Formats: sequence, C-alpha cells, structure tokens
Amino acid sequence: MSTAMNFGSKSFQPRPPDKGSFPLDHFGECKSFKEKFMKCLRDNNFENALCRNESKEYLECRMERQLMAQEPLEKLGFGDLINGKSDKN
Amino acid sequence: MGGLWRPAWRHAVFCVWPWRHLGRPTRAAERSEPCLRPRSSGPAGTEQGLRRLGTWRRRARRQPARRPKSTNPYTRSQEEDWRRRNKTVLTYVAAAAVGMLGASYAAVPLYRLYCQTTGLGGSAVAGHASDQIENMVPVKDRIIKITFNADVHASLQWNFRPQQTEIYVVPGETALAFYKAKNPTDKPVIGISTYNVVPFEAGQYFNKIQCFCFEEQRLNPQEEVDMPVFFYIDPEFAEDPRMVNVDLITLSYTFFEAKEGHKLPVPGYNS
Repeated sequence: MSTAMNFGSKSFQPRPPDKGSFPLDHFGECKSFKEKFMKCLRDNNFENALCRNESKEYLECRMERQLMAQEPLEKLGFGDLINGKSDKN
Repeated sequence: MGGLWRPAWRHAVFCVWPWRHLGRPTRAAERSEPCLRPRSSGPAGTEQGLRRLGTWRRRARRQPARRPKSTNPYTRSQEEDWRRRNKTVLTYVAAAAVGMLGASYAAVPLYRLYCQTTGLGGSAVAGHASDQIENMVPVKDRIIKITFNADVHASLQWNFRPQQTEIYVVPGETALAFYKAKNPTDKPVIGISTYNVVPFEAGQYFNKIQCFCFEEQRLNPQEEVDMPVFFYIDPEFAEDPRMVNVDLITLSYTFFEAKEGHKLPVPGYNS
C-alpha cells in the first residue's frame, strides 16, 4: 500500500477488479497469442492503440478455453474492432 | 441554608441533596462510603455496617422521589418543581448522549454514501459499471504512459516481473499488459498479490477489468505463467483539472505468500 506515513493525506485504496481475477493459464494455451501481442507492442513502440487487435485475439483465446468468462466484445471495449472485422468479412 | 435557594447552586444542591436529609456531616468520602462512617468497632459493627450498606442503597434509591426536605408547602412545591426540572434536564442530556453514540455508528455508512454520490475523498464513484466500458469514447489526444513495476515479498521466492516496461494508452481505451511469474522452487507455492497506483489521485481513474490480484494463485514447481492485466483509464481523467500535468502512471504489483489464516488487507474481495 502507500508508504506515506502522514495521517492527513488519504491513503491509496486498492479496488478489486470489475470482473474478478483471471484464472492462471497453467498450460500456456494462449501463449502464442500473447507472444503475438508482445511482438506487436515492441514493433509499435509500446503503443496500445495499434495492438488492440492482438489483445482482442488473446482475450478471445482465453474465453474459448474457459480461462475467462464469456463476454461480448463490446463490453470489453472492442466495439469498434468488431465492426472492422465484420467489414473485412 | 440560604445558599440553597440561589439558582446558580441548583446543580450543586442536586448532588448534595440525597445526603442532606440523613443529617450527616458533609464529608464526601463518608457520604459515599457508609462503611467509613464512625460507628462501634468489632464484628457487630461490621454487620451493622453491611446492613447499613444494604439499607443505604435502598434508602438512596427511594428517597429522591419521595421525601421533600422541608414541611413548608411553598418550599416543598418548589423542591418538587426543581426535581422535575432536574429530571427533564437529565433525560435530555441522556438522550443527547445516546444520540451522539448512535450518530457515531451511523456516520460510517452515511459518509460512504456521501462519498459515492459526490465522488469526494478518492473513493469509488458509483457508475463504474461494465456498460460504461461499452459506451466510453477514447480521448485520443491525451496519451498517457503507464509503467509497470513488480515486487515480491521477501519470503516469496518467485521470479515476478513485468513483460513490458511501459505502454502508451489513452483514456477510454482498454489495454492489456502482461506480467510473468516463475516458481523456481521444488514445492508448489501459493501467492496473493495486491497493487498500487502512483500518483494516488490518478489511481481512482485506473480501472481494472480483470487481473490476477487479490486471489490466491498457485504455481507448481518450476512453473512459469503469464499474468495478464486488462484495464482502462476512465475518460473523465481527461477532464479532471488536477490531472492536467499527469502523463505517467505507474502500476505496481506486489506478491505475498499466502499462508493459512493469513489475511491480506484486501478490499472486501475474497478468493
């Protein structure tokens, strides 16, 4: 937690994540997606906006393998990417 | 005796009142402790003293309501008036004390409610629902650098580190980041983590959709796993005047070893 010892200031309050905790990927089932995402980040100078497709694919992999609760992608903030994908198809 | 009739002495009189009628000298210790009063010594004396203790209590309880001091009807009604007023005052004071106690207990949930509605005090603002994620619009002109930090408690022998040193996001955009943890020992180890966000004021805009914190994570011997954090910065971050100069946010995770019966101070989220 915050190491500031002054009583006047407010201390940091960690909040639990909205959707809970990710189950651990013990068998590395989505490791390839993660590697793709990391490579994309490194190539694009760690800009998240350019690698959102890869992050979407990683989360989809997790959802397929029961490593994450199934959620429509709009709820995860990928609404614009779905439209892009459907355009391609 | 003349002093008794002055209003300023009324409260002092009330304290002295029950003892006056007994006709004892005004010595405070002897007034309150009847066993200190002079009487015949010896076993009979102690028995008498004990009996007097019992009767004294009964007398004390009975007498303030029943026995006016004087026989003069005018003064008696006045005394009764005072007694009644004293009782009213006492009732009010007692009610105020109980009210204060109740208010101090009620203050905690009330304050929390107040903080939630007004968003003051850096506490969670109501309305951080998942539908907000659907509708939020990224603020493309405000780029924030997020750096990652990984710590491990001294007793935990994991190798825990972030897989990227930094990431550039904008408020309103969901982002994914990875940490990696390896258990180099030959025994399965269970860890539990918590996080910290610096600067503190930016921490209220940092929302984690899903992560690996606050839940026990078990790593088998020699196992290495990727730990993702899925988060976003609230778009209201761009509108907060206090955040105008904030371009760097550091997310710091710390892993502790989860032992039986050892409870992390987690915010009401149990595994």
